[in-house]
Amino acid sequence: MTDVEAHHDQLQEPIRRNRPGTKSSEWCNWPPQSFEEMDSTVLVQQYIQQLIKTETFNIDLILEPPEGQDEGVWKYEHLRQFCMELNGLAVRLQEECNPETCTQMTATEQWIFLCAAHKTPKECPAIDYTRHTLDGAACLLNSSKYFPSRNSIKESSVQKLGSVCRRVYRIFSHAYFHHRPIFDEFENETALCKRFSTYVLKYGLMSNDNLIVPILEDLGESEA
Amino acid sequence: MEEEEALAEFDFLVSEQGGDDGRTDGDGSEWTKHTDWPLDKQKLSMQIEQYKKERIRKHDNAQRPRKTDLQAMIATLGAEEDDVADTEDRGDSPKASNEMMMRFPPGSSMERHLDSSALGLGDLADITVSNDETDSLTLSFDLNAADNNARKTWNAKYTLRSHFDGVRALVFHPVEPVLLTASEDHTMKLWNLQKTVPTKKATALDVEPVYTFRAHQGPVLCVAMSATGEECYSGGMDSTIRCWNLPSSNIDPYDSYDSSILQDTLVAHTDAVWGIAIHSTRVQLLSCSADSTVRLWTPGQQKLALNNTFLPPTEGDGVPTCIDFLANDSNRMMVAYSSGNCYVFDLSTGQHVVKFDSPAPDTNPRINKILSHPTLPVAISAHEDRSIKFYDTTNGELMHSMVAHLDAVTSLAIDPNGLYLLSGSHDNSIRLWSMESKTCVQEITSHRKKLDESVFDVAFHPSKPYIASAGADGVAKVLV
Repeated sequence: MTDVEAHHDQLQEPIRRNRPGTKSSEWCNWPPQSFEEMDSTVLVQQYIQQLIKTETFNIDLILEPPEGQDEGVWKYEHLRQFCMELNGLAVRLQEECNPETCTQMTATEQWIFLCAAHKTPKECPAIDYTRHTLDGAACLLNSSKYFPSRNSIKESSVQKLGSVCRRVYRIFSHAYFHHRPIFDEFENETALCKRFSTYVLKYGLMSNDNLIVPILEDLGESEA
Repeated sequence: MEEEEALAEFDFLVSEQGGDDGRTDGDGSEWTKHTDWPLDKQKLSMQIEQYKKERIRKHDNAQRPRKTDLQAMIATLGAEEDDVADTEDRGDSPKASNEMMMRFPPGSSMERHLDSSALGLGDLADITVSNDETDSLTLSFDLNAADNNARKTWNAKYTLRSHFDGVRALVFHPVEPVLLTASEDHTMKLWNLQKTVPTKKATALDVEPVYTFRAHQGPVLCVAMSATGEECYSGGMDSTIRCWNLPSSNIDPYDSYDSSILQDTLVAHTDAVWGIAIHSTRVQLLSCSADSTVRLWTPGQQKLALNNTFLPPTEGDGVPTCIDFLANDSNRMMVAYSSGNCYVFDLSTGQHVVKFDSPAPDTNPRINKILSHPTLPVAISAHEDRSIKFYDTTNGELMHSMVAHLDAVTSLAIDPNGLYLLSGSHDNSIRLWSMESKTCVQEITSHRKKLDESVFDVAFHPSKPYIASAGADGVAKVLV
C-alpha cells in the first residue's frame, strides 16, 4: 500500500457496513483490509475476525500477529473471540447436555471441575458450568477494572487470561468426551478447539498435559 | 437539585410495582408535599374515558394506584424543569420551516403515557378525581413552554459492557429500569440498572448483565419486548425468531439453566431476520427478513403462528429493511425497502394502501429505520444519506426532510409523549431533536467505530427518564 491517499478516498474505498436487509451470504462480504489500513479502536478484533472469515482453517495465519503488535492485546483479543465463538458450541450443547445426564462438569473420569462463578466453587451440572463460565469470562474480559482499554493491557491483567483459558477449555473437553457428534460437527465448521489448543500452547497459557482433547495429534506428529 | 427532583417524579412507577426490592427513594412520600399540582378535571376524565375504550390489558395488576400517583403522572407530562443547562444547538441542524410545524392535539401525549405504562391501570377508571385545590388550575400542554423550559440535558450514566461484539439492538422494559440488548456475539443480555458494580469514576456506573440468552446460531439482529414486559422476541442471522419468557430482573446471573425461558422458535423466514415489531395492545408480531418477505404472526394454538406473508409490491423495491405498526391505526403497518420505497399495508387485506413519496434518485435513499409517531399519523424514517424524513401516513406525502447527521442515520426512537426524537448515526453520535421545531437540542458522542459502523440502535424508556444507545463497539450506554 504505497498510495496512502487512495484509501482515504471515500469514493474508491468500499463502505464496510452490514446494513439492515443484508443477506446472510453477504454478511461482512467486502474486500479484506490490510492491518495498516484499519484505524478503529477495535482494529485488532477487526483484523482477527477478517482472518477467521477468509482463512478459517489456516490457524497459524490467524494466530500470527501483525508486526509490532502488542502481545498482551493480541492474546486478549483472541481470547475474546474464542469466548464469543464458544457461544456457538454452548447453544448446541443446550439441546442435549442436561442436568439429569451430565450432573457434573467432567471430561475423562479423572476430574470433576468445580464452577468458579460462585463465591464458593461448586459442582454445577455441565451445562450450567458451561454457561456460567462463559458469562463470567464475558464479565471479566469486559471489566473496566481489569481491562479498561483494548489497546494496552496491564501485565497483572494479562496474567488473568490463563485461568480463563483453563476454564473455557473444559467446555471443549466435555463436549468431546460426552457429546462427540456435537463436538465434531462444530469443530468441522470452525476448527475452534484446534485453534484454541494451538493458541494456548503458543502463548504458554496452558500446559500440554492439560490439553486432553487429542486434536493436535496430527500437528504433533508432523512436527516430530 | 431541581433536576433531581424532576427525575424523582418517575420513581412512583417503580414503587407501585410491588415485588421490587431495595427501592425506597423517591417513593410516594415525595408527593404528599405537592398537592397543588395543576390538574384539569375535565380533561382528565376525558382521558380516562378514552383510555377505557382503548384498554386491552393482558393481566391486571391488583394494586390500585394512589391518587397522588395519578396526579404525579399528569404533572410529569407538563412538568417544567428550571434547569435549561447548556443544551447544544448545532449549527448544522436545519430549522424546520413554519409550514412543516406539527400540531399536537392537546392531550394526545396523555393517552400514550397512560397506555404504555403497565401500572394497575385497569383500576384507573375507578379513580374519582375530586381534588378541590386543583379546580381553578389548568393542565398545561403549552409546547412552547415545554420546549424552552423543560429541556432536559441527558448525561451518560450507565455503561453496559459484557458483549464481545457489536450490539445491534436494545429495548427497555415497559416499567422497570431494565433493558435487553442483542449482539453480534450470538447472545442477548438482560440488564438491571439497579445492579451496578463500583467503578473509579463516581459519575459513571458499570452494570453487569443478570441473564444471557443463548439460542441463535450467529448474530442477533433485532429485539422486541411485549407491553407487559413478560415476553421478548429476537430475530437473527440464522433466519429464526425466538420467543422468550423474560426472567426476573432479580435473577441470580449464575442460577441453573432453565430451558423453558426459550418458549418457542418461529421458523418461516429463509434468510436473516432484521426487524421485529410488536403490537402495543394485541399479541401480534411482525418480522422482516433479507428473504424479501414481511411476516405477520398471530396466536395459534398456544403459540404464535404464521398468519400472513407480505411480498414487495413491485419488482424494484428490494428487500425490506425495517417495519413498524402504525400507532394510530392498529390494522396497518409500514414497511421500508432497500430501494428507499416505503409502503403502508392493510394487515387484514394484505394489500398496500399508501406509497410514500419517492426519495430523490441521486442519493442513497436506503431506509435504516422507520418509526410510527405514538399518536399522530406520521412516520419518521432514518436514511443512509444522513437524512431524517417525516411522512404523512394517510397519503404518503413527504412533510419534512432534514440532513440530521454527518453520516448514515441508523436508528430512531421517540419519547412516549411524542415530543422528542432520538437518532443514532454511524458518525458516532446520538442526537436529540425537538419534534416541534425539528431542531437538534442535544448531541452526545456515544460510540466508537468498528469498520464503518458505529451507533446501531437508540431507545427511550417507555415510562422512566432513561435513554440508551447501542454500538458496534460492543457497548450499550444508558443516559439519564
